Amino acid sequence: MIRPFRTMTASVALALGGAFAMPVQAATICFAFQDLETEFWVAGHLAITTTLTEQGHTVLERNANEDANRQFEQVNDCIAQGVDGIILIPQDGESATTIVANAQDNDVPVAVFNRPPSDLSRGIVVVADNATIAEQAVDYIVDQALANAGSDETLNAIIVVGDLGDPNAVGRRTGFYAAINKHAERFNVIEVASNWDAATALSNLEAAVTANPQVDLLFTSSDFLFPTIRSVFEPRGLWRQRGEEGHVWMAGLDGDATACQLIKDGYVDATGVQDLFFEADAALQAILQAIEDGETDPNQVIEDPGFALTADNIAEREMDMWGCVLLAEGFLD
Amino acid sequence: MSGALGLGERAYDLVLRQATVIIFAIVLLYFGFQAPLFLGPENLGNIVKQSAFIGIAAIGITFVLLTRGIDLSVGSVMYLAPLIAGFAMREYEGSVALGLMVAIGAGAVLGAINAFFIVALGILPFIVTLASLFAFRGFGAYLTSSRQFDFAPALREFGLSSVAGIPIPIIVFALVALAAHLVLRHTLFGKQVYAFGNDPEGAVKAGIPVPRIQTAVYIISGAAAGLSGFVLIAQIGRIDAGFGEGREFDVIAAAVLGGASLFGGVGTALGAVIGATLIQTVSTGLAFTGVNLYLQPILQAGIIFFAVLIDSLRQHRQKLRRRRSIRPIAT
Repeated sequence: MIRPFRTMTASVALALGGAFAMPVQAATICFAFQDLETEFWVAGHLAITTTLTEQGHTVLERNANEDANRQFEQVNDCIAQGVDGIILIPQDGESATTIVANAQDNDVPVAVFNRPPSDLSRGIVVVADNATIAEQAVDYIVDQALANAGSDETLNAIIVVGDLGDPNAVGRRTGFYAAINKHAERFNVIEVASNWDAATALSNLEAAVTANPQVDLLFTSSDFLFPTIRSVFEPRGLWRQRGEEGHVWMAGLDGDATACQLIKDGYVDATGVQDLFFEADAALQAILQAIEDGETDPNQVIEDPGFALTADNIAEREMDMWGCVLLAEGFLD
Repeated sequence: MSGALGLGERAYDLVLRQATVIIFAIVLLYFGFQAPLFLGPENLGNIVKQSAFIGIAAIGITFVLLTRGIDLSVGSVMYLAPLIAGFAMREYEGSVALGLMVAIGAGAVLGAINAFFIVALGILPFIVTLASLFAFRGFGAYLTSSRQFDFAPALREFGLSSVAGIPIPIIVFALVALAAHLVLRHTLFGKQVYAFGNDPEGAVKAGIPVPRIQTAVYIISGAAAGLSGFVLIAQIGRIDAGFGEGREFDVIAAAVLGGASLFGGVGTALGAVIGATLIQTVSTGLAFTGVNLYLQPILQAGIIFFAVLIDSLRQHRQKLRRRRSIRPIAT
């Protein structure tokens, strides 16, 4: 049977628990999340809940199953139950703005984890700088691809885009273009919609690769799509390791265990890392501090600068990436 | 009676009757004109292969729609049934064949659970399957703690393999379509499904075993959804927590686009195949020709809406003609 994920995130929780010692007395925290589709959300969810519980706080978990209206009602229900604070992973930027305003109007402090509201002026917002992180990762593969191509060769670059209703997906696409546009004349860009769905990505990527059989570079807006990409690339001879003839330069974003393994194996070259440890730690510290101070409408943007883990720096920075930590604990075994 | 119609009216009738097929042809030609490779054998094969995922489940749900029912849980069954198959394969170090059987079996069991509440307890199908949509997905999330589940490499080898150059998903899709067509058209059970869907009261009076028919169609829908999920997962080798989410709408759209009525009694297995393939053709065409990502869902929805609108016009026109005539009209 499957090994419980809970045990494998123990070190993540311990890392967070040890990172700060809040003086706050036991609080009741509502943790409202939209769903847990990828490794990043699962790891973030467990890190936060485990750390809070181990510190003696009560956590009310609410899963909205990707329904923004349901999440709004769930948060209202939490407020009615008299929670001391709310940690929110919203469905989208617009609904997040409404939920944060509603919570603050009811004198409950709220921290938004990783998916930012459209209006950043209210609430504690912990957000990765998706555009910059994506740009760093794509910069690396662009440099590698150009260095390995003829000086007058035009290269085909694919971007697998996420759900464009999600600000994270939009930011990653922006970062991709920021890197590509530094050498715009050298790249022909092909956009592939995934809607954060493996089946959609499989179908659209297959169509894109059939239309453009020559692929030189690929950026996926989330690491969780790498197995899908392999399914399309492998039968076409495009799934090759670094150093092999026909290797497609590939990068992703998230920093999950699969990406870590694939960089080590030589199939993937870089991934933009959202610092899960930093983000979860920052969200917890900020919300607990607000509760301690009796502050009901704390407004603060905490930015995760992130970084790009690449084939060149993996030896030094491996353990800065949450996915590599999980991998070392046997996450993919 | 049709002989009494003018040439223009007959042509109009023909267009309405074959609307989905005509739209299909127009879509193919349009994208083929935009990008000639679109009509190449590789891409056409890809379209049919990728249609299998939605198409197999659409064939299954057609049985349910024929009986005036609905199954909103298919997306969750697509997730849970292959997941159970994956656990079985891992636990018993089983083969792909074992996984395939378990996926179909698990889907059938999940369909039987729906059927129990609908048939035995008399609860509305919409309510039951809406509840099971969440329950089945929740159970899957409980089993995996929302983690992804990796299948044995043998499964992916199977999913990406082909027989005589025909990819496995297409073969499975064709077999399911053929079997469903034969069952609906050439068996007593199929005739009873149509009879119940057209006139439930009349079917009861005629002695048709209605509870058995209703139970069977939900089991078929569940089994088909389990199989469709397994066929897609076999191509990727990994199942994520969000897999199949919201796919019930694609499945229902494919069946309706293929001519199935939400009011029962009308629909065919081959229609579901055409519906699913049309949806996939549009989706592939938009990706193939690099249409702006923000426009893709709008165009896709527009084409599907247009096809369903034409179909509604056809049905409306047939109703009017029946009303005007003192004798039944061959359709």
